Amino acid sequence: MQVAFRACSVQDLTAGEGLRIDSVSPPIAVFLTEEGSVHAVDDTCTHQDASLAAGWVEDCRVECPLHESTFSLLSGAVDQPPAKRPVRVHHVTLHGDDVLVELSQEAPNLPPGMGTV
Amino acid sequence: MTVPTLAPEGHLLIVGAGLAGYHTARGVRAHGHTGPITIIGEEHRAAYDRPALSKAYLTGAAAEEDLLLDDPEDPLDVTWVSGVGVVGLRAEPLGVHTDDGAFHTADAVVITTGASALSLPSLDSSEDRGGCAPARPYVLRNMEDALALRDTPLHGADVVVVGGGFLALESAATCVARGAGSVTVAAGEEDPGARRLGSPVARAIRSAHEARGIRFAPGARAQGLRRRPPSDGGPHYEVLLGDGGVLPADIVICAIGAEPRTEWLLDSFVRLCTQSGAVLCDDTGATSVPGVYAAGDCAQWASHSSGLRPVGHWQEAFEEAAVVAAALTGSDPVPLQEPYFWSDQFDLRIQGVGRIHLADDVTVVDGTSDGGDLLVHYSRDGVNVGILGINRLRDVTRWRRGSRIRPASAEAPGPTPVSA
Repeated sequence: MQVAFRACSVQDLTAGEGLRIDSVSPPIAVFLTEEGSVHAVDDTCTHQDASLAAGWVEDCRVECPLHESTFSLLSGAVDQPPAKRPVRVHHVTLHGDDVLVELSQEAPNLPPGMGTV
Repeated sequence: MTVPTLAPEGHLLIVGAGLAGYHTARGVRAHGHTGPITIIGEEHRAAYDRPALSKAYLTGAAAEEDLLLDDPEDPLDVTWVSGVGVVGLRAEPLGVHTDDGAFHTADAVVITTGASALSLPSLDSSEDRGGCAPARPYVLRNMEDALALRDTPLHGADVVVVGGGFLALESAATCVARGAGSVTVAAGEEDPGARRLGSPVARAIRSAHEARGIRFAPGARAQGLRRRPPSDGGPHYEVLLGDGGVLPADIVICAIGAEPRTEWLLDSFVRLCTQSGAVLCDDTGATSVPGVYAAGDCAQWASHSSGLRPVGHWQEAFEEAAVVAAALTGSDPVPLQEPYFWSDQFDLRIQGVGRIHLADDVTVVDGTSDGGDLLVHYSRDGVNVGILGINRLRDVTRWRRGSRIRPASAEAPGPTPVSA
């Protein structure tokens, strides 16, 4: 059975922004929306190596900071190219200020050539 | 809604299977076009995206299938005609002649033939060559070019990269990653990009490259290359600089720009720019011939001609395709966003947005040229018109979103004016 881990504290989060958690591999991004909900998805855009934590959050979607694909924070689905594949969504529970994340068991959709020049 | 140029059941012919061509087809389908779409491509390959050709594809980290534009799990409903060149455009009846003797009729034509790499002249005299072909550098424009360079052993080789733009610098970085013995960049200016991006950015780029052992030749422009006499030993080629300098090289990579692929339109009624040869368009991509549009690197739209936008970026081709798709189908017009580009070199992710080319002043807002964290603002007449960040994704994203132009539609408010 999958066990949730403490990814961060709610106090570490800024509304409308993401926080990259690289203690897991591949890294994940935790978002606090302007509406106050907390979400976790894979941090790496499925098109090219870019940290979604640095992307723009609006209407429960995050836009990749490199191009214009946006991913749903609820389903991980991508809306438009250049990305084609969804990001994984990780289950989040709040325990006090602790953000507990249960990692998805699906295979991640990592971009080609990640981590290289 | 505007009046469509192309009836929903009409035949759309797209000439050129690159980024702009693919996304025009995709956009038109997304707007509900049901008629046939044909894309003619010169290469015997499925349509692919080019940015990785100087990076992950060149190191071998990414394969051809990783670069494909179409999704094999959800392919576009398009007829691909691959490995065929175009030789002419006819207005009446509308259509395109191909080099296999065929004539493809169409209800609308979109020209997305892109650009071809400029190369360095060979300065060999025929007797010097002793029967050899003229010395020719590697270029990086299509997958064939990248494949040739990828298949060339670089380990220990002396590489000279001619050009100071992002393609040249990315190539230089890749050659280091592949174990080249030495990499020298002949950028044509002291610090690469200083004229276009300002000194702080150019210094940051230069120092990052120098830290990895890349050398920069004096700022004189390269004039050409030639073979070295075999009796001299050492590298087989040399690049000659305008100041008389000579750079010996085993491998020469040339990235000095590109010219529009429009020679096949010279006998048509499509108006071309007398200087660049690009297809002249309005800001919906419409050319001087009704029913004929152009987008991407082969096209010069009105806002490019007037100097408001730069030509040749990935983002321009991507956005223009969406604008043309909307215009063809009579959908709500899609506005062009602020110009945007990015480049990856070593661990530097460089992103620029806005009217950087129009700026008369550049200010360092945060970070340093040596820190891999530079953030600069560009201004014109005291007004901030652009931003560039090195590993500053969040800052660049924020600026870009703040200047985003919303599409005009019944639900949304009209486009907001841009402060430029």
